[in-house]
Amino acid sequence: MDTMKLEIVTPTGPIFSGDVKSATFPGAEGEFGVLPEHASLVSLLDAGVIEIEKSDGTKESIVIDSGYVKVDEEKTLVVVEGAVPIVGENESEIAKAIAEAKELVEKAGNSDFAIANVEAKVEAAAKTRF
Amino acid sequence: MANLKEIKLQIASVKGTQKTTRAMKLVSQAKLKRAEELAKRSRVYAQKLDELVSEIAYEINQNKVGGSESRFVQADLPVSTVDIVCVTADKGLCGGFNVSTLKTTLALIREYKEKKVAVRLRVVGRKAIDFLKYNGIEMKDEVIGLSASPDYKKAADFIEESMRDFAEAKTDRVVLVYNGFKNMLTQEQRVIQLLPVDISTVEPRELKSSIEYEPEGHEELLNTLLQKYVQYSMYYGLLDSLAAEHSARMQAMDNATKNASERVNELTIQYNKARQESITTELIEIISGMEALK
Repeated sequence: MDTMKLEIVTPTGPIFSGDVKSATFPGAEGEFGVLPEHASLVSLLDAGVIEIEKSDGTKESIVIDSGYVKVDEEKTLVVVEGAVPIVGENESEIAKAIAEAKELVEKAGNSDFAIANVEAKVEAAAKTRF
Repeated sequence: MANLKEIKLQIASVKGTQKTTRAMKLVSQAKLKRAEELAKRSRVYAQKLDELVSEIAYEINQNKVGGSESRFVQADLPVSTVDIVCVTADKGLCGGFNVSTLKTTLALIREYKEKKVAVRLRVVGRKAIDFLKYNGIEMKDEVIGLSASPDYKKAADFIEESMRDFAEAKTDRVVLVYNGFKNMLTQEQRVIQLLPVDISTVEPRELKSSIEYEPEGHEELLNTLLQKYVQYSMYYGLLDSLAAEHSARMQAMDNATKNASERVNELTIQYNKARQESITTELIEIISGMEALK
């Protein structure tokens, strides 16, 4: 299967860079998925979770507060204000990342609905991994 | 022949200066570390934001759809008034750091004047403000204190007016000039065209599809994105300039310390010579006195 380049950067540095099979973004007008060879698109991003399927088939979730994404046929560039990747060696590290992510989304001043949505997604993602 | 006391005083004074320059070097070194770290972390974001915006601008220019009415992304805008934003330090004693930025700015002004383009200057940093005032060059806006401690909010406020004027067609181009950090030893003059978005950096390529915007109505999305881009570019410019300032000062003070120790060496040799000479004269006097008594 084809892959595309994905880059995610924040003011404090790059968060993710690599080839991916697909990615799902929390667009301002609803969630959307991107596969390689996607037509050009520019979208505003709301607080939510970016779900990535990496080229080796593993999945990764990154919680963001707000930003922009630009998609074209070859690569996807994501510029966000704040992001917390949900990764860790063991359960306690994951739990710490989840707490950080919650804080980030709450700070962004979003509705309770958005916060609950993010929480549910992140926890579901964390569970499938352990 | 300088007398002994004079030389001694001179040595003491040079040593005093050396102490100051050494201390300033250490201070700059510590500050540089912090400033560099900050600039480094922001660099990737600034670059990617730049890439994002210029690619969108490129595609809009190629397709001539959607944003063609937005001045911000019109690459072929005729220029009659230009805003130059110039960033220098508030303090001196950092070698050619401020001077080279001012030279670049003046060269830029001359270039635009030759093309019959009106120039408005917006200046950050006391050094540039003093220099321009002394030379009777008019400034549209000036701010002190921003380059010593960059602050996102203040940087955004400062550039806000440039953006508004550009949007209202009072200016046709906004250029940012500052001395950027290249590495510990070198600084680099940066002249960046903020508005309209510079698309010359985008590699030309064939576009397979025209851009879609979400939420629909590109104006709003594009405007917030552009605002972010301009503000962040300004902020990053300040960070980069601050890191460069500290590296320039560190170097300048290092050189000063070295020069001071050379001078101390020279003076010490002079002092020793003078001392030897006075001893010799005294001896000759005593001996010749004794000879006379015989």
